[in-house]
Amino acid sequence: MPFDPDARLTIDAPTRAQVSGVPLIQQEAFYCGPASIAMVMQWAGADISQQDVAALAFSPGAGGTYLADMIGSSRRLGQLAVEIGDFDQLLAEVAAGHPVIVFQNLGLGVFPVWHYGVVTGYDFAKDEVYLNSGQLDQMVMPFAVFERTWRRGDYWGLVVLPPDQLPVSAAETDVLSAAAALERVDQLEAAEALYETGAAQWPENWLWQFGLGNARYAQGDLRGARQALRRARALDPSIPEIRANLAFVEAEIAS
Amino acid sequence: MGLMNIGKKSVAVVLSAQLVLATQAVTMAQAEMLGTDAAINKYTALSNRNALMDEMQRADVQAGIIELGIDPAEAEARLAALSDAEISTILTQMERDNAGADIVGTLFTVFIILLVTDLLCLTRIFNFTRCVR
Repeated sequence: MPFDPDARLTIDAPTRAQVSGVPLIQQEAFYCGPASIAMVMQWAGADISQQDVAALAFSPGAGGTYLADMIGSSRRLGQLAVEIGDFDQLLAEVAAGHPVIVFQNLGLGVFPVWHYGVVTGYDFAKDEVYLNSGQLDQMVMPFAVFERTWRRGDYWGLVVLPPDQLPVSAAETDVLSAAAALERVDQLEAAEALYETGAAQWPENWLWQFGLGNARYAQGDLRGARQALRRARALDPSIPEIRANLAFVEAEIAS
Repeated sequence: MGLMNIGKKSVAVVLSAQLVLATQAVTMAQAEMLGTDAAINKYTALSNRNALMDEMQRADVQAGIIELGIDPAEAEARLAALSDAEISTILTQMERDNAGADIVGTLFTVFIILLVTDLLCLTRIFNFTRCVR
């Protein structure tokens, strides 16, 4: 039975979409996770191989890559990584021109075969989902088959983007947390870029300027930090955390 | 009389705890920059909670709750008893059920009322609410 967008989606997705320029990488044994991240990052223009990613993500003992390490390695490589969890989000991202990493179970009941692939397009009329799936040929799946394999992966998906771009289907809080996570793994330039991107998208929320101030401070940019924290304070003068950090930065500039 | 003493004592405990926290915040501010993570967790949780509470105050929601024979103050108390994580789950669920579009009008009112009746153990609509009874 073909995919019925009216019944399955709550968004208006275009009848077909294709993300161009996602390279097909032949995965090395068990490297579907690292290969997926490498494909998405190369699409965004990064010079990175599946081996580079594997060093940060792959667990040899498990013979695979954990979900958490997919997220963590993307962030350690300076990318914005946000999870998605349903068809609405998947198709909205693809329609917006973002490839999406999906977690699938390609096996049968008792014998699961866990796999990561990259969804690069779909076509309702042809009943097809297109994936770069660790082989040199594009993989084409009917929606029903894709749905079955993705459902058994609990509809887990990951949008990985450079920090000057934003996912279209993620909540603001999730993007904020992803930015703070970049700060935490010391990807300070990426964190700064993402806070700036978020501040442009959600200009009324002081947390973006607060994060921007902190990320600049951590890079030794005291005046830049002061400027961002002043903007944060202007957005909400009542927040003690902003005042405390601003005072801290100003004291350091004065000393 | 005894009860009142306990009440006063617990107020005092809460107040002094707040004082300690406030003092710590100031000390921390002098020692190092306050982190973005903590601020995000604190303030998004707060704004989620406030958003739900604000909706509870809407005239149509209040009217709906009263119509069901529920005391709005009790409904509010139940809502206040939810953890940050539970509030966040409720909002996520609410956004999904409302097609991720703007949550306005009837749908939202219905959602809040069902949520409240769930919290009061009168209905069992959402799997993420915790019935106290």
